[in-house]
Amino acid sequence: MTRQEIEQEVKSIFLREFEIENPQMDKDLRETYGFDSIDAIELLLEIERFLGSELTQEEKKQAMDIRTVNQICDYIEKMAKVRGLAKEA
Amino acid sequence: MARRVVITAAAAITPIGHGRDKIVESLQKGISGIKPLREDELLSRYIHSKVYGTVDYPVDYDFKRQYRKTMAPCSYYACQVAKEVLEQSGLTEEFITSGNLGVAFGSIHGSPLTQRDIYRTFFEAKDKKDYQAIGAVDYLKSMVHTTAVNITKMFGITGRVISSGTACTTSSQSIGYGYEAVKFGMQEAMLCGGADEYDTITVAVFDNLLACSTAFNNEPKRTPRPFDNQRDGLVVAEGGGAVLLEEYEFAKKRGADILGEVIGFACNNNGGDLILPNLNGITKTLQLGVACAQINPEEVDLISAHATATKMGDIIEAQAISEVFGANPHIVGLKSYMGHTMAACGVIETICTLYMMREGFIAPTLNLEEIDERCAMLNHVQSLMQKPVKTAAIQNFAFGGVNTILLIRNLS
Repeated sequence: MTRQEIEQEVKSIFLREFEIENPQMDKDLRETYGFDSIDAIELLLEIERFLGSELTQEEKKQAMDIRTVNQICDYIEKMAKVRGLAKEA
Repeated sequence: MARRVVITAAAAITPIGHGRDKIVESLQKGISGIKPLREDELLSRYIHSKVYGTVDYPVDYDFKRQYRKTMAPCSYYACQVAKEVLEQSGLTEEFITSGNLGVAFGSIHGSPLTQRDIYRTFFEAKDKKDYQAIGAVDYLKSMVHTTAVNITKMFGITGRVISSGTACTTSSQSIGYGYEAVKFGMQEAMLCGGADEYDTITVAVFDNLLACSTAFNNEPKRTPRPFDNQRDGLVVAEGGGAVLLEEYEFAKKRGADILGEVIGFACNNNGGDLILPNLNGITKTLQLGVACAQINPEEVDLISAHATATKMGDIIEAQAISEVFGANPHIVGLKSYMGHTMAACGVIETICTLYMMREGFIAPTLNLEEIDERCAMLNHVQSLMQKPVKTAAIQNFAFGGVNTILLIRNLS
């Protein structure tokens, strides 16, 4: 998967699951969109579905510092790389 | 320090209507909210009772996603009636979020529809991945205090939270414990009530105990029949209700519309059987309520009886009323209109009583055509009466042997 595909999927998750249309990439999600701890847990499940594999407890802990959509995309890219799924655009 | 406590706002979603005008119209015109039991693709086809107190009209919910995501159907009812009560009350946002307002609200067992989805996922799962369909928020939607904390979240309420889950006395306890919290100065105001969603598990439980009505499956409006010779059991129902309690001087000072004063509350337990009604336990509750209100029993002119229309329950209640209040007070069984709304019945019946007080009428018990002679010692209301009500009692009894009584006075 390319960075562009990841961004597209994240935006689609945000619209489908969180009713947030075209979120700004570098805005703080909590402050701007009221994104909370419950949303974060739902997001991790969606990321697992997208990657087609489970995240380990260690990997999930790494997601705790995420604050923006760009950071979500970075995180997915990193997880995809570990799983041999990442592709250059 | 004992302070006076008044009710200054009320709202309900019931099988006989949403809001004061519709509910009053149904009570005055004898309109029943009992309908055929809805198909649920699980239990409805096996249940003998085919009737249900149904909310079958649209409710115009306007909740944002951030609130909706932790709300099951019971919380939709709860948050809607809470919203209407807070709007009616005229309380400022500053007060609502100050910590001076608490919430006492419950449902009988969280959200059975959410629990059903969890079990369906669990039993239909073929491999580990399928279990992920159990959502992270399913617990928040189905926990026993889900209605109370969805309300606190939506309105930013930071006072105490009490969430009774005592079956049919859930919301009468909400009002009673809310009353005590204000009376003894622990909160300035309490938002109190209960809600339960459409659910066939509850019907199945009562059905298996042979406590549900089955003889009127083809004529739903003819059941339940409290105190009537042909009564054959209760009818389960859905709905929600909320009232705002506040300290009398505070309410008066801010010019609030006082619907009634809570003058007494009592709650006890039968100390034994968890299902059968108990004459001693119920009689004691009523006596404790009268003592709490510091009134003579003769002062009570209207009793909203629990009156589920079960064979034994109505007789025991009639005997207890006769023992404590005699034959003077008018008796109405409001479940005859809408069935048994479970966690919501105490608050909905309190609200109906407040509406009758305000409008100066007493609704008759529907379907009470031939009074069972074992209940005939009471002053049953069989046709609409235009009559002022000064003091009323609302009685509720629950599985687990829990009994409650609330006493309310008309100040207008």
